[in-house]
Amino acid sequence: MRTPNQNIRNFCIIAHIDHGKSTIADRMMELTGQVSSRDMEDQLLDSMDIERERGITIKLTPVRMFYTAKDGQEYVFNLIDTPGHVDFTYEVSRSLAACEGAVLVVDASQGVEAQTLANVYLALDNDLEIVPVLNKIDLPSARPDEVCKEIEDDIGLDCSDAPRVSAKDGTNIGDILEKIVTAMPAPKGDLDAPLKALIFDSFYDNYKGVICFIRVKDGVIKAGDVIKTFQSTKTFEVTEVGVFAPKMQPTAELTAGEVGYVAASIKSVQDTAVGDTITTVENPAPAPLPGYQKVQPVVFSGVFPLDGSKFNDLKEALMKLQLNDAALTFEPDNSVALGFGFRCGFLGLLHMEIIQERLEREFDLDIITTAPGVSYYVHKTDGQVITVNNPSHMPPVSEIDYTEEPIVKASIYSPPEYLGAIMELCKEKRGVYLDMTYLDNRRVRLTYDLPLNEIIYDFFDGLKSRTRGYASFDYELARYEESSLVKLDMMLNGDPCDALSTIVHESRAYTRGREMAERLKDVIPRQMFEVPIQAAVGGKIIARETVKAMRKDVLAKCYGGDISRKRKLLEKQKEGKKKMRQLGTVQVPSEAFISILKTEN
Amino acid sequence: MAGIYVHVPFCKHKCTYCDFVSFSNKEGEMQSYFENLFKEIVYRAPAHKNDTFDTVYFGGGTPSYVESLLITATLTLIKQNYRVSKDAEITLEMNPGTVTKDKILAYKRAGFNRFSLGLQTVSDQELLRLNRIHTKKEFCEAATLLSGENFSVDIMVGLHDQTKEEVEESLRVALNYGASHVSVYALTPVDGTPLYTDYLNGELPDSDETADLYHTAVEYLKNRGFHRYEISNFALKGKESRHNLNYWQRGEYLGFGIAAHSFYGGERFSNTENLSEYAMCIAGEKSPVVFRERLSESEAEEEFIMLAFRTEQGFAKAEYEKMFGAPFSLRYAEKLRRIGKYLDVEGERVKIKDEYFYVQDGIVAELLS
Repeated sequence: MRTPNQNIRNFCIIAHIDHGKSTIADRMMELTGQVSSRDMEDQLLDSMDIERERGITIKLTPVRMFYTAKDGQEYVFNLIDTPGHVDFTYEVSRSLAACEGAVLVVDASQGVEAQTLANVYLALDNDLEIVPVLNKIDLPSARPDEVCKEIEDDIGLDCSDAPRVSAKDGTNIGDILEKIVTAMPAPKGDLDAPLKALIFDSFYDNYKGVICFIRVKDGVIKAGDVIKTFQSTKTFEVTEVGVFAPKMQPTAELTAGEVGYVAASIKSVQDTAVGDTITTVENPAPAPLPGYQKVQPVVFSGVFPLDGSKFNDLKEALMKLQLNDAALTFEPDNSVALGFGFRCGFLGLLHMEIIQERLEREFDLDIITTAPGVSYYVHKTDGQVITVNNPSHMPPVSEIDYTEEPIVKASIYSPPEYLGAIMELCKEKRGVYLDMTYLDNRRVRLTYDLPLNEIIYDFFDGLKSRTRGYASFDYELARYEESSLVKLDMMLNGDPCDALSTIVHESRAYTRGREMAERLKDVIPRQMFEVPIQAAVGGKIIARETVKAMRKDVLAKCYGGDISRKRKLLEKQKEGKKKMRQLGTVQVPSEAFISILKTEN
Repeated sequence: MAGIYVHVPFCKHKCTYCDFVSFSNKEGEMQSYFENLFKEIVYRAPAHKNDTFDTVYFGGGTPSYVESLLITATLTLIKQNYRVSKDAEITLEMNPGTVTKDKILAYKRAGFNRFSLGLQTVSDQELLRLNRIHTKKEFCEAATLLSGENFSVDIMVGLHDQTKEEVEESLRVALNYGASHVSVYALTPVDGTPLYTDYLNGELPDSDETADLYHTAVEYLKNRGFHRYEISNFALKGKESRHNLNYWQRGEYLGFGIAAHSFYGGERFSNTENLSEYAMCIAGEKSPVVFRERLSESEAEEEFIMLAFRTEQGFAKAEYEKMFGAPFSLRYAEKLRRIGKYLDVEGERVKIKDEYFYVQDGIVAELLS
């Protein structure tokens, strides 16, 4: 029995990290009887381990709920979760396109945060009806009236009857459900028109093939239908459609206005790109729904298997992750020091960390990642312009006319007492001051132009430590700007170590080179010969450290003819050698080498 | 070549750096230990009817600490039960604080013809700190008693506040009193010894300083006509310790007493390190061997290289090829490209160059891994 469209509500929840989005979603599911609180694992929506541990949402996870409203009618709620972090704006825009409304969760003690604003504007751009909710009213520091005023002033939303709730103890959660029914529009859509379904996410199931998460805009889809997408020429027969309850549950059909999934023995995710539109072969829609803008990765790093023989496993893992994370890019890379691996592109630092962790946890891979870098434009003397996101692809100095680097517009929010420290940090990071606004007497927004490569180096740590964790920040890619960039090489005993090369601003080269040389000196064990560690730019040495030659390594006394013990010591030494990485003529223990790469991050 | 080793695990006091199997305050068990030792010597004899032994070595512990009769009786028993060649090298380790004229006379009469005296340093303050039981003066007295004998002296480098001058002075005293052989050991702080605490607290010279002190010793001894025939052993021509060389040349040897190691018939084995377990085994006429390994051909080959590289002479290319079926320079061609510079491979022998002798471990590990 299909639910009439006027009784369906498709919505998402927008919230800043920590403001309680997942907990609110859990309470809503509990209240609608979707999950019994007894078997409920806290924060059901965040199904990845990493998400639960970090308290963040990365992937979209739709859930269907049934709610009997005060008008006596039963409603179907489709909640499509959204990630909160700035790196995942792209994911947010995907979920917004599948909804008619959004619940805006604001912490009643902390007020509206920068990242929330960005997503709210995104929702408004998508013509979504926004329902503001004040959470954490149980906290002694809650100041709901002030925060309501903030929301009204900053965003222009009417907060006079906004639900005031506590997801923690369950207070007033029912108000949100009721508000969703009364304030949000029901989905429109023509049941009799040709099928148009937006793919907003997908993942690969070993038995069913690619599972597409869809929002049906027009028409009906059911098992047995032969479907196609607009970007692919292949056709598929639907084997199963269903809804999220919250686990996948097959249904007879999905109709205009509904959210669910479709499986059609699709082998490759390329055949059903996220953002594409599904229609039927028999009665195709004339034009696709507007898709998403393809996102470009902005942070790059080399990812290598610790054990060279695991290259194919790594490749497979990256391909699987890419299935439902179109923002992840990768291409084969190889390094003298690290062997074969991939140069991966990410949306930001958090995205990079998440991918690294998923590779390690979900695919049980031991990986080494090189220092993150960004994408530069290099204008060569022959007029050619190339994009360089891998230091080893940087052309020789003599072939470079000039270089450009990405600049971001960064908004930093902080209590006023840390303004000086933040401005100093931004200055150190080659920032250009744009603007300063007092949002209220406790919060200031500073706006700066900052080179992205400075942000990915240690900006976060610097900001946190200098403001005792009070400042938060947000950035968006603004433009490319001409800049004096150089490739900094590290050389061990005269041989460049490609995995340690970085592209840095000319003014940074000496300090970075010096730091790297000192760190390397600490971890490189003494060899039979003296090892010079040099930092070089364009063949010119700018910093040097030396690891002195080993003078003596013999345990001289051989006691009472105990040769077996000597041989065991030798065996142990040989084992140790196996764990060494050969960098040119120098041997470095793998762990030490990794620690250098880690501190670089 | 074959040798016999006898372990005497008793000392007056334990030195602070010592992690060997030796005991103080166990004087009451000496007698019974030797009785068991005698039994082991006799018990194992029939298996070696056809072997000739060219060296006998009494080590410890402090063999000169126990009653000399026990020592001489042991040697006599060995000679009665094993074929010991007429010109065999028979060595006794001694602590200068335990030597008397009568003892030396008894040893010589029994057939000992080589002595090894532990001096370590001429600094009395340091000797006290290391819990040695003798002074510089007592060493001089003991060495005087050995005048005219073939004897070796042990010296240590890497001691507390040790200077090059002190190392030279220790060697000067040893040589002036007539030592024909010197073993120079770099102090190795072993976890569990009292000295290890000093090491942890930075009271000992670091590895580089120790290497410098060692270099001082090498130079001093070279100028006095001593050649470094093994990593830590120096001798006048013809005074090399045959017993020790036998270890490095993979010759066979039998070890008697607790913790003694043997190498015989391609097998390496060793006795228990526990006094009462040793006593129980002997009483029950069971073998006190607790560790035994037979080496594979590749293990034997690695051991051959590892041991030979400890010596000035290294090994003969022809011998290697005969034993292991392929020329050394062919089998290790690839490795030699990288570490060949540390080796002398030009002539008929392969050996580590003098200047790299002291990083032998690294070179061997590199070659064999």
